[in-house]
Amino acid sequence: MCEHMFVYNGSMSTPPSCPRASYRAVAHLDLDAFFASVEENLDPSLRGQPVVVGGGERGVVATANYIARRYGVHSAMPLRTARRLCPHGVYLSGNHHLYHRYSKQLMAILRGYSPLVEQVSLDEAYVDLTGTERLFGPVRRTARAIQEEVQEQLHLSISVGLATNKLVAKVASDFRKPHGFTVVPAGSEAAFLAPLPVQRLPGVGPALLGQLQDRGVRTVGDLARVPERLLRMSFGEWGEMLATAARGQDHRRVSPRETVKSISRETTFPEDVGDAAVLEATLISLCEDVCRRLRRRRLEARTVTVKIRYSDFVTHTCSHTLLPARDVDEVFFREVLALFRQGRQRRYRIRLLGVGLSNLVPRSWQDDLFDQEVPLLRELNMKLDLIREKYGKTAVRRGAAQS
Amino acid sequence: MRIVTSKADLVEALGIVGRAVSTRSSIQVLTGVLVEAEGAGITLTATDMEISVRAPLRGVVEATGAAVLPARILAEIAKTLSPREVTLERKAGEQQVDLSCGEALFSLRILPAEDFPRLPLFPIEEGFTVAKESFLATVDRVAASASRDETRPVLMGVLVQVAKNVVRMVATDSYRLSVKETPVEASVKEKIQAIVPARCLTELSRVAAGVAADSITVVPTHNQILFQAGEVLIISRLIDGQFPNHKQLIPENFESEAIADREEFMESLKRVSLLAPKSAPVRLQFEGNTLTISAQSQDVGAARESMPVQYQGEPLEIGFNPDFLLAGAAGVEEEDLHMRFISPLRPGLLRGQADDFLYLIMPIRLGE
Repeated sequence: MCEHMFVYNGSMSTPPSCPRASYRAVAHLDLDAFFASVEENLDPSLRGQPVVVGGGERGVVATANYIARRYGVHSAMPLRTARRLCPHGVYLSGNHHLYHRYSKQLMAILRGYSPLVEQVSLDEAYVDLTGTERLFGPVRRTARAIQEEVQEQLHLSISVGLATNKLVAKVASDFRKPHGFTVVPAGSEAAFLAPLPVQRLPGVGPALLGQLQDRGVRTVGDLARVPERLLRMSFGEWGEMLATAARGQDHRRVSPRETVKSISRETTFPEDVGDAAVLEATLISLCEDVCRRLRRRRLEARTVTVKIRYSDFVTHTCSHTLLPARDVDEVFFREVLALFRQGRQRRYRIRLLGVGLSNLVPRSWQDDLFDQEVPLLRELNMKLDLIREKYGKTAVRRGAAQS
Repeated sequence: MRIVTSKADLVEALGIVGRAVSTRSSIQVLTGVLVEAEGAGITLTATDMEISVRAPLRGVVEATGAAVLPARILAEIAKTLSPREVTLERKAGEQQVDLSCGEALFSLRILPAEDFPRLPLFPIEEGFTVAKESFLATVDRVAASASRDETRPVLMGVLVQVAKNVVRMVATDSYRLSVKETPVEASVKEKIQAIVPARCLTELSRVAAGVAADSITVVPTHNQILFQAGEVLIISRLIDGQFPNHKQLIPENFESEAIADREEFMESLKRVSLLAPKSAPVRLQFEGNTLTISAQSQDVGAARESMPVQYQGEPLEIGFNPDFLLAGAAGVEEEDLHMRFISPLRPGLLRGQADDFLYLIMPIRLGE
C-alpha cells in the first residue's frame, strides 16, 4: 500500500495573510476499484488476480481492479474486449445489493465527521469539513482519519483529495490513485492544477479536449493563460466556466440534498431482440421504474429520452419535451412508445434499451383541465408505489410490462 | 406636412396607439408611429404586425403629408412638454420633423414611411355592431384566463362567439377556464366565431373605455378582425386553430356545493395565501357549515382562517393555486359565490346565482 501527498512549497498551513475562516475545507473521497474490492473482500483468493466486474453475460465493464487495468481493461469497455485483453482474468457479474450496502456504510462513516456530505455516486462523495477543527483537530488529520476508518471498518481502499473547493478536491483525489491522499493548501490551487493535462478537469470530455488541443491547450496551465474573453468567444458560457476552473476556483457548495438532473435506467438483453412486443414490454418496465424513482424524489419531469443500441453497437437516442412537467407513468408510456416507434429506423436487432427522464422540477401537482385523467392515474401510481415499497419492486407490474 | 395640436391631445393619442408599437426592434420602422395629415384630419398609426391601432389626433392641418417618428422618444417628449400648442412640421425634402412647443424645439429624424406596413382594407359593410359596455364587460371577466405561454398559441386567444342576442367568450390557460355569456344586441345575420388574441381584446377594452361611443363595430375576415370604437381602429390577426371544447370540460354533475360571501371569501383568501408563495396551494376544508382556508410555507410558517358558508355534501379537502382561485372569485361579481366540487382530484366550478359566468379550475393535489 502506498501513500502520496502533494505539498506545494512544503507548506501545509494556510498563508498567514489569509484569515483561516474565509477558506472552506472540502474533501473528495473516491473508493478505489469499488466493486472489485468488495468482491476481493468476499473472496480473498481473488487478491493478486485481475478482477473485472461487469453487468450480465455481455454488458460492459463496471469496475476493473488495478491488476486488470494493467492489461488495458477500463470501465465502460465492452466485456468482450476486456476478455480479449485479459483472458485469464476473473469475470464477475456483480452483486449490486452488496455494493449498495457498502455504500450506505461509507456514507454513514462520512456523516460521523460532518453533516455536509454530498453523495455523488455509490462510491464517491464530498464532505465539507469546514469548522470541524474544534471537534476533531486539524482538517488534514481528520481527512486521514476518515481514510483509515474506511480501511478498518470496510476493508476498502479510498482516495482522498482535500482542498478549498469541490473542483480542486476532486482533481486531487484522482491525483494519485489508489489510496491517494492529496492536500492542496489554500492559495496553491492554480499551481497544483497547472501542470495537469487539461482533461483532468471535470467536464472536459473528448469533444472539448479536441477543440482545446486544436488551440494548443494541453495543460490546465495553458488553459489558465488563455484570456477569458477568447474562451467566452469560442465556448460561450462553458468558456467562462472553463476559465474559472483553470484558476482552481469553484463556488459550488457541498449540498447534502443531492440535486438530481436526470433519472434513467437501461437494460442490455441477454440476446439481441427483434420482437417489437418484447422490446415495448421492456420499455414499459423501464419506464415504470424511472417514474417510480421520479415520484420518490418528489419531482416531475418534462423531457423523456429513449436510448436504442443496435446489435452493431450503433446507438440512437431520441427525446421529447412535454409542455407541463408530469410524474405519472401513463403519460410517459405514450411518449416512450411513440419515441421508440419513431426512433427505431434500422432493421438490426436491438442490444440495449434505455429510458431517461430529465428537465426535472420540484413537483407542483398543478394538473391540467385537458387531461383530467392524470390526477386519477397519479393516485393509482402512488398506491402501486406503496405496494412496491413494502413488497418489492416487482410485486406489482402492469400487464404491458410482461413479455 | 405641418400640423398644430396641443400637448394633451398628443399625449392622449400616443397613449392609445402606444401599446401596438413593436418592442422588438428587428424591423426598425415598426418602432415608429405613422403620423398622417390629410384634409380630413390627423391620424396616428402603430403596428407590431400582430395588432395595429389607428387613432385620430385632434389638431389643425396646415399642410398635408406624412412621416414615421420614433414612437418611444416622441411619447416621452410629449409627456414632458409644457401644456401648450405643439407644432409638428416636416419641410419638403427633409428627413426630419421639427417639433416645437413654446421655446422647446426638437428635430427628430424620421423613419422611412414607405416601409411602414399599410393597414389592410376591411369590408366595413360586412361587419356588425355590438353594444360597447356589455362587450367590454365580457372581455374584462374572461381575458385574464388566457394563457401567456407562447408554446400553445391557441390558448393565448379568447374564443369569441357572437349570435343575434348573445355574445359568449371563453378563455383558458389549461389550469382554469372562464366562460361568460352576455345578452347583447348584435347586428349579425348568423352566429359567428373567432379566436382573438387576448392581448387585442384587453387593448380594446383599455382604449374603448375612454371613447364616447355606445357601440363597437366589428369586422371579421377569415384571418383578421377589426374593431372600431368611435374613431379608433384596432386590427388584429386571428389565431388559427381548434379551441378546446369548453362544454366537454365542464362536468355536468357535482357532489357538493358551498355558498360563501364573496367579498369575505376573497379577503380571507388574500390573507392566507401570503403563506402560499410561488405555486404552493391553499387548502380549502369544508365541513358542516364552515370553510377553513389554510396554507403553509416550509420556510416561513402557516396560516389558517375559518368562515361560515352554506355547505351541502360530504366533508371535503381540496387544494388550489390561490391566484387562480382569487381571479375566479373576482370574476363572479355577485354577492354570493357558489363553489361546486366533485372530489379533490376533479375540477371545481365557481359561479354566481345565475349561470352566465362559469369559472372552472383544476385543483392541486395536497400532500400528506
